Amino acid sequence: MNNKTTRTFSAAALALALGSALTVAALPAQAAGDMEKCFGVALKGQNDCAAGAGTTCAGTSKTDYQGDAWKLVPKGTCDKTASHTSSTGFGQLAAFTAKS
Amino acid sequence: MRLQEAFSAAVLDSQQPCPRGLVSRNGHVESRFAVYRNNVQKGLINALAFSYPVVARLVGEYFFQEMARLFIKKSPPDSPIMSTYGVRFADFIGDFEPARSLPYLADTARLERLCVAAYHAADAWAVDPQVLARMLKVPESLGQLHLQLHPGVATLDSPYAVADLWAAHQNEELSQGLDLSLPQSTVVLRYGLSVEVFAVRPGYTAFIRHLQSGHALGPAAEHALHVDPYFDLSQALALLITHDAITDLSPAPEISP
Repeated sequence: MNNKTTRTFSAAALALALGSALTVAALPAQAAGDMEKCFGVALKGQNDCAAGAGTTCAGTSKTDYQGDAWKLVPKGTCDKTASHTSSTGFGQLAAFTAKS
Repeated sequence: MRLQEAFSAAVLDSQQPCPRGLVSRNGHVESRFAVYRNNVQKGLINALAFSYPVVARLVGEYFFQEMARLFIKKSPPDSPIMSTYGVRFADFIGDFEPARSLPYLADTARLERLCVAAYHAADAWAVDPQVLARMLKVPESLGQLHLQLHPGVATLDSPYAVADLWAAHQNEELSQGLDLSLPQSTVVLRYGLSVEVFAVRPGYTAFIRHLQSGHALGPAAEHALHVDPYFDLSQALALLITHDAITDLSPAPEISP
């Protein structure tokens, strides 16, 4: 333990990582009722899921406000959240193609 | 024995003559044999096309057929299970001179092989998240915790963005602006009955491979952080937990009171 660099995981760090992973894992069940998938509002790499055809993966969106990436947001707030790529100017409940 | 060897060689190579000693109930033995040979080869080509649809789409039907025909001659099946046929196809493609202009083709084939393997992997049931949560009560033991992963979990590190390429070919419309020259790491797993492909940071694949080779959580996480300074252990664990990919835990003995 003496000359290890900071690039190690302490017991506390491991517990924190596992704990927050379990929280994420528990999320969709709780979220289903009062959250909705909102497309086009996530910043680059911050989407909850669905970026690019086929790769449904959290944190993989390549651009800000990517139209095929979604983020869970409280129900009713999606179409009030600004999106630079959306034709409506706000997030949408389905994937869309960015306006040119 | 000699007859069987000559027969199997001739079945796999259309250049060879009809083997001696065959008889036919109807018609010319040469033409009957040609029909049989064509069926065998076509069946194997179809099996490859079924396992490697993206490769087939990338090179086109004619190129794929001829490439597959040469592969079949070189690597005939050694098992009657067609879903495992072509395990060496990716290596063959990597050495296949005419495919040199598509340097990402071999890794695309590797990814498709992982998908087929994940689909046919044995069933295994996920550890109850509550059992994992119980481990939080003994944080000092977490570093030595061994995580058993689902047999379908596999990784691929490629100098090319083959996960993006694969994803783009899952739909009819091809997305524009695919930059294949970027290195990409991929995790393949089976969640329920569907095979899922994730483009991930390189730390994820390093982490998973370390777990699979028998390292405990602590050393595997440190290895991943060494490979990728931006490795996020929490997200990597969340990916595994949410896709039922952690199937067993083997805690170190000192956990028990």
